[in-house]
Amino acid sequence: MGGVEDDEPASKRMKLSSEELIHLSNGSTVKESIVGSSRDLMARPLQSDGGEEVVGSKGVIKKVEFVRIIAKSLYSLGYRRSGAHLEEESGISLHSSIINVFMRQVLEGDWDESIATLHNIGLTDEMTIKSASFLILEQKFFEFLDEEKVMDALKTLRTEISPLCINHSRVRELSLSIVSPSHCFTARSPKQDTSRARSRTKLLEELQKLLPPTVMIPERRLEHLVEQALGLQRDACMFHNSLDEEISLFADHQCARDQIPSYALQVDANGISLKHKLSGHQKPVSSVSWSPDDHQLLTCGVEEVVRRWDASSGDCLSVYEKAGLGMVSCGWSPDGKWIFSGVNDKSISMWELDGRELECWKGQRTLKISDLEITSDGKQIISICRETAILLLDREAKVERFIEEDQTITSFSLSRDNRFLLVNLLNQEIHLWSIEDDLKLVSKYRGHKRTRFIIRSCFGGLEQAFVASGSEDSLVYIWHRGTGELIEALPGHSGAVNCVSWNPTNPHMLASASDDRTIRIWGLNNLSTKQKDTHGNGIHYSNGGT
Amino acid sequence: MSYLVHNCFKETVESFIACTGMKQPSDYLEDMEKRKRIYQFALEGNALKAIELTEQLATNLLEKNKDLHFDLLSLHFVELVCSRKCTEALEFAQMQLTPFGKEQKYVEKLEDFMALLAYEEPEKSPMFHLLSLEYRQHVAESLNRAIL
Repeated sequence: MGGVEDDEPASKRMKLSSEELIHLSNGSTVKESIVGSSRDLMARPLQSDGGEEVVGSKGVIKKVEFVRIIAKSLYSLGYRRSGAHLEEESGISLHSSIINVFMRQVLEGDWDESIATLHNIGLTDEMTIKSASFLILEQKFFEFLDEEKVMDALKTLRTEISPLCINHSRVRELSLSIVSPSHCFTARSPKQDTSRARSRTKLLEELQKLLPPTVMIPERRLEHLVEQALGLQRDACMFHNSLDEEISLFADHQCARDQIPSYALQVDANGISLKHKLSGHQKPVSSVSWSPDDHQLLTCGVEEVVRRWDASSGDCLSVYEKAGLGMVSCGWSPDGKWIFSGVNDKSISMWELDGRELECWKGQRTLKISDLEITSDGKQIISICRETAILLLDREAKVERFIEEDQTITSFSLSRDNRFLLVNLLNQEIHLWSIEDDLKLVSKYRGHKRTRFIIRSCFGGLEQAFVASGSEDSLVYIWHRGTGELIEALPGHSGAVNCVSWNPTNPHMLASASDDRTIRIWGLNNLSTKQKDTHGNGIHYSNGGT
Repeated sequence: MSYLVHNCFKETVESFIACTGMKQPSDYLEDMEKRKRIYQFALEGNALKAIELTEQLATNLLEKNKDLHFDLLSLHFVELVCSRKCTEALEFAQMQLTPFGKEQKYVEKLEDFMALLAYEEPEKSPMFHLLSLEYRQHVAESLNRAIL
């Protein structure tokens, strides 16, 4: 939308008109226009032969359309005189004269005349004409009922509305409302004169939605276009990470880099101080998971059992096992009422907290399940089922979907809105998949190093607009999710960074864990941020190694 | 035997009894005759007469059986619509049928019937089945069964 800002001749004309408008809205009379070209416009017939003239540096905006939506928004804002002046001065009228007649007839309640006009507008779609007539006649019907002219209303229904032969269910409702007016609640039932005017205005708005936009311009069209542009600017802004960034219309939006956490706030060499040592597992612990209420922990021993612990006391509350089989991974249901675990017989088991097994799903071709996640609505379970495939199991519909990759999948991570999956591959790429309706590969992120170990990545930032990952070159990598561009590669660790976790509530904080036995908390430079509990819900961290 | 009684086959019942010597309550013949007349009226669409006779034969039956009552009244409504007496039909509906509309389960039925008013040729409307003989038969059968 470069129209007003550029310095091209075409826009200069527009600029002057808007300046003139400002003068006009102050109440002064219309003066002879200064720029000669405006005089030409005055001489033209009211209906410009649109399409020839364009505005803007790219030449894609038709001038007639541009002026019309500006006039429309002037009227919407309540600046009737300005709108009228614009129409007069530009010679471009907002609506054709027949539409103006139509609108007036509707607002004044000349129903039969308005329908006649409707047929003369030149609409090609039969259905549109019928639907519009239906709406107008409905209003006529209700206004009769309101004046207690029941027989007139009935006559309208029988002789005018029903013969249209559309919307029979609405006809039923209308007939019922003859005898019980309260039954048919409609926002357009007018009671007094003032609200009658309002309900007729509403009728006009609904007619507007029915008619093609070239005939009657939709409400708030200009606002919609501007909002669209702002949305695109925000999406393209690679460093957009703050809610309170206001977007102005005067310049394209662009955040500075300073909103991305890039400054090591705290380096914990000995980890956060040890609270409890949870012993009981006989085998190495492969995964850990916090309960949704943060009071309990679920741990899984490699090919062993799953244990549930109380986080404050350190006691083991339950042990989940299956005779002759070993568990490989574990997780919580979103409501914290049951848990699920991957089993080495290629199945997934679900348990009540008290140890009762609820369900057991057996897959066709599943491998050792090392990553197991569940969507926050509890509907889908996601796990790696083959070297190169991820299974998405819909629990209710019992439908299985598969994400197939060419490379071995090492780990994955689910977005908070359950719509995207981040998949880490052997070949040092991170793939972003959309999992909502159709499974689609959306983006790829590259740059980090991964050759020997499992490195985990995650979503993060405001509206999860960023992707972060650990790397074997000891840097923390951050990409902009939408564009795929690498924004930051943060130095600081002295060993491979195994896993990262972006604070779910503070978009300016990130935690990373490394083989150098430290955990780093990253934040914004020169900003004091509260040390929040970074092990939030559902973070899995592995014991180093594969 | 009960089939015969149910369907008011009077002569057949009499000869049946004569042949088999079965015992029957004394006024069953009278009842049967009355029911037969009620059934006929309902079938013709003369619902008001049917209602009147039903009240005589079994008072409070219609009060207890609201569905039936509604169906019978609707028959009369349909008659009025068919004879194109729109104003009367409307008034009748307002007075007799709409009170039922307070209960949700009647609202849809009420809608069906009121919709008949919306069309100048109800036979061609989506609700034309309400005008048919089958519907009247259905209502008459229910009435008959209820009396028994």
